[in-house]
Amino acid sequence: MTNLDNLTDVEMDVLKELGSIGTGHAATSLSQLLNKDVYFSVPEVKVGEIKNLSSEFIGEVVAGVIIALQDLEQKKSGYLYIMFPEKSAKKIAGDLFGMDELDEEMYASTIMEVGNILSSSFCDASADFMNIILLPSPPSFAVDVPTAVIDSVVSQMAKNSNHIILFETALSSDADIEIYLALLPESCLLDDMMKILGQL
Amino acid sequence: MSSDILFVSNGSGKAIFLTGRDVLVKSFCSLSDTCSSRDSCRSCSLINAAKNHLTGTKSESNVKELDGELSAGIGEYKIGRNVLLKGMGLGSCIGVILSDVSTGICGIAHVLLPGASEKGETKYAETAIEKMFEDMVKMGARKSRITAKFAGGAQVFKHMNLDMLKIGDRNAISVEETLVKKNIPILAKDVGGDVGRNVIFNPADGSMIVKYTTKGDVLWL
Repeated sequence: MTNLDNLTDVEMDVLKELGSIGTGHAATSLSQLLNKDVYFSVPEVKVGEIKNLSSEFIGEVVAGVIIALQDLEQKKSGYLYIMFPEKSAKKIAGDLFGMDELDEEMYASTIMEVGNILSSSFCDASADFMNIILLPSPPSFAVDVPTAVIDSVVSQMAKNSNHIILFETALSSDADIEIYLALLPESCLLDDMMKILGQL
Repeated sequence: MSSDILFVSNGSGKAIFLTGRDVLVKSFCSLSDTCSSRDSCRSCSLINAAKNHLTGTKSESNVKELDGELSAGIGEYKIGRNVLLKGMGLGSCIGVILSDVSTGICGIAHVLLPGASEKGETKYAETAIEKMFEDMVKMGARKSRITAKFAGGAQVFKHMNLDMLKIGDRNAISVEETLVKKNIPILAKDVGGDVGRNVIFNPADGSMIVKYTTKGDVLWL
């Protein structure tokens, strides 16, 4: 099993690479959806203790979408956590509908759909480049501070480990849109990634 | 000291002021719901008392100083004497506070999972409460005087497609069962709902302050 406590630099790079490929695809989809240029940052990989998790996220309220990832044998592979700061979420939903005000139900379902599209392209990328097939679950949606949204997922992962790998990247566009993407892989996904990228 | 934490009370209300370099930085006030100036407090008897205390112009008998603050991260607990305790960003997690007001010893646990751990891990409710209780007694708290307050266990998801995310209720039940089993009186609780919470404990009067993350409401329990 890949040991989370002391990943080598090479292993960290492997994670970063997957992050780049995944978010690259997600950024392309978002760009097509919004019909705007979308930029993304080089992902940061963090291996942290769960107790320090709250310091890793932005401090403001976000619209959070959580998608569980499974492999073909229905083993849990991890979670994708997509955070839209409230302003960005409103802007995206408004732009897509060409309206300033949306009712709450419309707003929630729009953001979930954007989350869906982003996660699907993320999964596509991992299948194309690494042959790791990830099936995204339907999205779950909440509006709250980032830790409050993610803590139920963390509680699932925490049964096995006190550490968590987080890789984070930000998507942004001209129009003041910011999106933060985090992947929380379970150890089996991590093992697969290391195996496959080790063969390259 | 340049960053004091003050607790001010008078007949009508009470407030915690966080200060830095003798300036009021942040406040948690029990009157914020009815106060006309809401969060942008300018002047009231509570604020004036705090300011007088900071500048030393007048000694106010209703101002108490706290000895710093402690914040418990996910799955850990912190104990101290006469310190402000914080548990921030609680979604399905629960902030469990144990305190012995007579000695000022208090603790907060940021509980992540229901049940007990075989390995003594404090992310589990039962284990965290038991360990924190023992540590407090070691520090000098009196067993029979320790009381509990807790808040959290929300279900923040409006649209939920993963059943296993419904862990808040189970956490709340586990915390309550543990406290009952250990005969620790539960003085207040605020659990459930669909909004995350920040929980703060003020040892000066034993009140738990619950601040909702997205609504801005503040409860003093």
